[in-house]
Amino acid sequence: MSFAKPTHLSRDQIDTLGHELDAIRASVMNTLGQADVDHMRRMIAICRASEVGGRALLHFGVGPLSWVAGVLALANAKTLDNMEIGHNVMHGQYDWTGDPALNSQTFEWDIACDGEQWRHSHNVTHHTYTNILGKDRDLGYSLLRVTGAQRWKPRHWLQPIANLLLAMGFQYGVGSHDLELGKYKHGAIPKPVFKERLNRFLSKTAKQWFKDYALFPALALWSAPRVLAGNFCANLIRNLWTYVVIFCGHFTEGVSIYREEDTRNETRGDWYLRQLQGSSNLTGGRVFHIMTGHLSHQIEHHLFPDMPAHRYVEIAPQVQALCAKYGLFYNTGSLWKQYGTVLKRLFTHTLPPKPQTLGA
Amino acid sequence: MTLTATSDTPVAPNTRLGAATQAVAAFFQHPWVAGIVRLSAVEDSLRLLHPMLSLTQPRARVVRIVHETADTKTFVLQPNALWHGRRTALAGQYVQLQLEINGRQVQRLYSISSTPGARCFAITVKRQPGGLVSHYLHAQVKVGDVWAVGQPEGSFVLPATLPPKLLLLSAGSGITPVMAMLKDLQARRYPGDVVFLHVCRNPGELIFAKRLQAIAAQYPELSVVTHFDDISGRFGPEALQLAVPDVAERSTYLCGPSGLMDAIHQHWQAQAYTAPLHSERFVAFPLLPSSAPGTPVNVSLASSGTQFVTQGNAPLLVQAENAGLNPKHGCRIGICRSCQCTKRSGTVENLQTGELSSAPNEAIRLCISVARSDVTLLL
Repeated sequence: MSFAKPTHLSRDQIDTLGHELDAIRASVMNTLGQADVDHMRRMIAICRASEVGGRALLHFGVGPLSWVAGVLALANAKTLDNMEIGHNVMHGQYDWTGDPALNSQTFEWDIACDGEQWRHSHNVTHHTYTNILGKDRDLGYSLLRVTGAQRWKPRHWLQPIANLLLAMGFQYGVGSHDLELGKYKHGAIPKPVFKERLNRFLSKTAKQWFKDYALFPALALWSAPRVLAGNFCANLIRNLWTYVVIFCGHFTEGVSIYREEDTRNETRGDWYLRQLQGSSNLTGGRVFHIMTGHLSHQIEHHLFPDMPAHRYVEIAPQVQALCAKYGLFYNTGSLWKQYGTVLKRLFTHTLPPKPQTLGA
Repeated sequence: MTLTATSDTPVAPNTRLGAATQAVAAFFQHPWVAGIVRLSAVEDSLRLLHPMLSLTQPRARVVRIVHETADTKTFVLQPNALWHGRRTALAGQYVQLQLEINGRQVQRLYSISSTPGARCFAITVKRQPGGLVSHYLHAQVKVGDVWAVGQPEGSFVLPATLPPKLLLLSAGSGITPVMAMLKDLQARRYPGDVVFLHVCRNPGELIFAKRLQAIAAQYPELSVVTHFDDISGRFGPEALQLAVPDVAERSTYLCGPSGLMDAIHQHWQAQAYTAPLHSERFVAFPLLPSSAPGTPVNVSLASSGTQFVTQGNAPLLVQAENAGLNPKHGCRIGICRSCQCTKRSGTVENLQTGELSSAPNEAIRLCISVARSDVTLLL
C-alpha cells in the first residue's frame, strides 16, 4: 500500500464534514450523566470481582477445571482493566466526572506499560499523528513492515516470527514503545533521558513480574506452580487479545497511510478525515465491544478519543452515514475478516519489494 | 470571612480504628506495594463490599432525615472511622460534602448543626431556588446514601475561655453554625448571659423552632429573641439595638445573608463597639464576569506562586510559554490532555466548543482554553 491519495473532497466539503462530526460529538457530550459513570463503575466492579475470583480459583482450587476457570477469570479481569477501563479512563473519557478514581492523569493500570509513558506514546504520539509514516510509531511498532512505504530490510524476512513474538508479549511492546529505542540508537535522544525512560519501564515490568511470578506463587505455597502457570497464561491471553484488537484497528486492508508533508497545516476537518480513513472497525455484539474496550469502534474512537467509549455504539451509524454521504470508506468487518487482511499485509510486506522494472 | 472549598490536610486520627486504617493505607502507598497492588483497586474492592469501607476517604452515611420547615431538612450523618470530627470538631465549624450529581462530583461546605462530640453529626440545608446541591439534597437523597466528607474546618468558633456576655445572631439558614454553638454552650454549662437572636421571614420559616423552645426551657441564662420580617419589618441595626439594648457589651457571633452581615459590620464600626464581632459567610462560587476575548487578565499559578498577565487571544498554554514558563504539554490541539490541569477559579472558554465555564476546580486543557476572567490554575 502506498500513501493516501489526495482526497476527492473539496475544502468546503471537508469543513462541513468537520462541523457535522462536531455536532455528533456535541450530541453525546451534552448528555453525559449518571448512566455513563454507572457503566464505568459496573465495569470496574466486574473487573475487580473477576480478579479476586480468578486468583482465588488459582490459589485454592483443585484440579484442572478450576485452573482453567481461574485463568479465564484472571485474563478477563486483566483484559477489562487494560481495555475498557484503563485505556478509556486514561484518554480522559471520565475526567468530566471530577472523580479522582477516574482521573486520566493519575490512573495507573495492571500492565507492564507505565501509565505516564503510555499517556505520551499513545495519547500524544499515536492519536495526534495517526498513520503518519515516521511520526506515528504505532505503525508496525518499529518492528514490523506494514506498508510498502516502509523501507525493506533483510530482518523483515523474519517478520512472521517477530509478529508472533510481539503478539505474545504485547504488553512489553506497548511498554517499551515510549523508549524510542531506534531514535536513541541514532543519537537523537540523550543518554540520561533514555536511561530515565528505561528505568521507568523496567521498574514497572519488574513489579508486574514480582507480583505475578514471585509473590502470588509464593503465597500459594505448594500450589505455586499452578499459580505461576495460571498467571502466565492469563497474561498471555490478554496479550494475544489486545494485540489482535489493536492490529485490526489500523493495519487492515484499505486504511490510509499519510506522508508528513501532506499533513502540515491540517484543519480540524482534515484531521477528522485522516482519523476516519486511518482506522478500521470490528463488528460484533455488546460483550465483544466491551472486551475490546470499544476499540471495535476504532474509527469513532479516533474521531472522539475523549468520549466515553460505550457511547461509540450509538453514534457509529451516524458516522457511517456521513461516510456514505461523502463517498468515504467506512472500514469495518468481522474480526476474522479484518485480521485476515492484517495477516495478508504482514506477509506481503515480509517480501522485499519487486525491483522496479524500467520501462521497456 | 469568605469561604471557598479548601483541600483537607491530613490530620492524625483520634480513634484506634482510624489509625489502623491510615497505617494500612500508608502500607499500600509504599512505592513497591503500590506497584504490585494498586490502592485504587483495593478501594474499588472495599467499596464493593460496603460503600462505607475505605482506607483513605472519610465517608458518612445518612441515617436520618429531619424535616425542619417546609424547605429545610436536617441530615444526620454517621461517619466512618477516618472522620475524626467526633473528637476534633468545634461548634461553628463546617465540613465539605462531596456529592455525585448526575455523574459529576460536586463539593459544598455546610456548617455542622449538631452538638460536637456526638457519634453522628448533622447538617441542615435550606432549599435554594435554582440551587443544584440543595435541590438534590432535598429531592434525591434518602436514608442509607453514602457521601464522601471532609474533616471539620473553619475558625468561626467559640473561644476556649468564654466571655461573660454573648450574642448569637443569625438570619435564615445562617442559624446552623450558631445553633451548634448554642448546644455547645448548653453542654458546657456556660454560666454567662447569652442572647440568641434569629431573623427570618415568618414563624413558618423558623428552623429548629422546637429545639430552641426546649433549650430555652432548660437554660435560664438564655433568652431567645426572634424577629419576623413579615410581621415586624425588615431587620437592621436599629431593630438589633431595640431587641438587644446591651449589644455593645456582647461578644457577637453572626451568620446570615451578606446584605445583613454588611449592615451589622458597618453598624459595629460606626458605633465603635469594642466587643468583638465574629462572622462567617458562605459564598457560592461567584459567577465571574466574563471579559471580552483578548482582554488582558491575571493568571495565578497556585502551586508555584507565580503569576502573569495575558496578552492577546492566544490559549493559556501559549500565554504561559510567552511568560517564560514551560508547563507540560503534548499535541497542542486538545487531544492528548498532557496539558490538563485543575482550574481553581475563573472563567475560561473552550476554543473547540465555544463553551464558557466558571465552575471551580474543574479540569481544563491549557492548549484549547482561553482566559475570559482572572484565573487561578493549580500549576
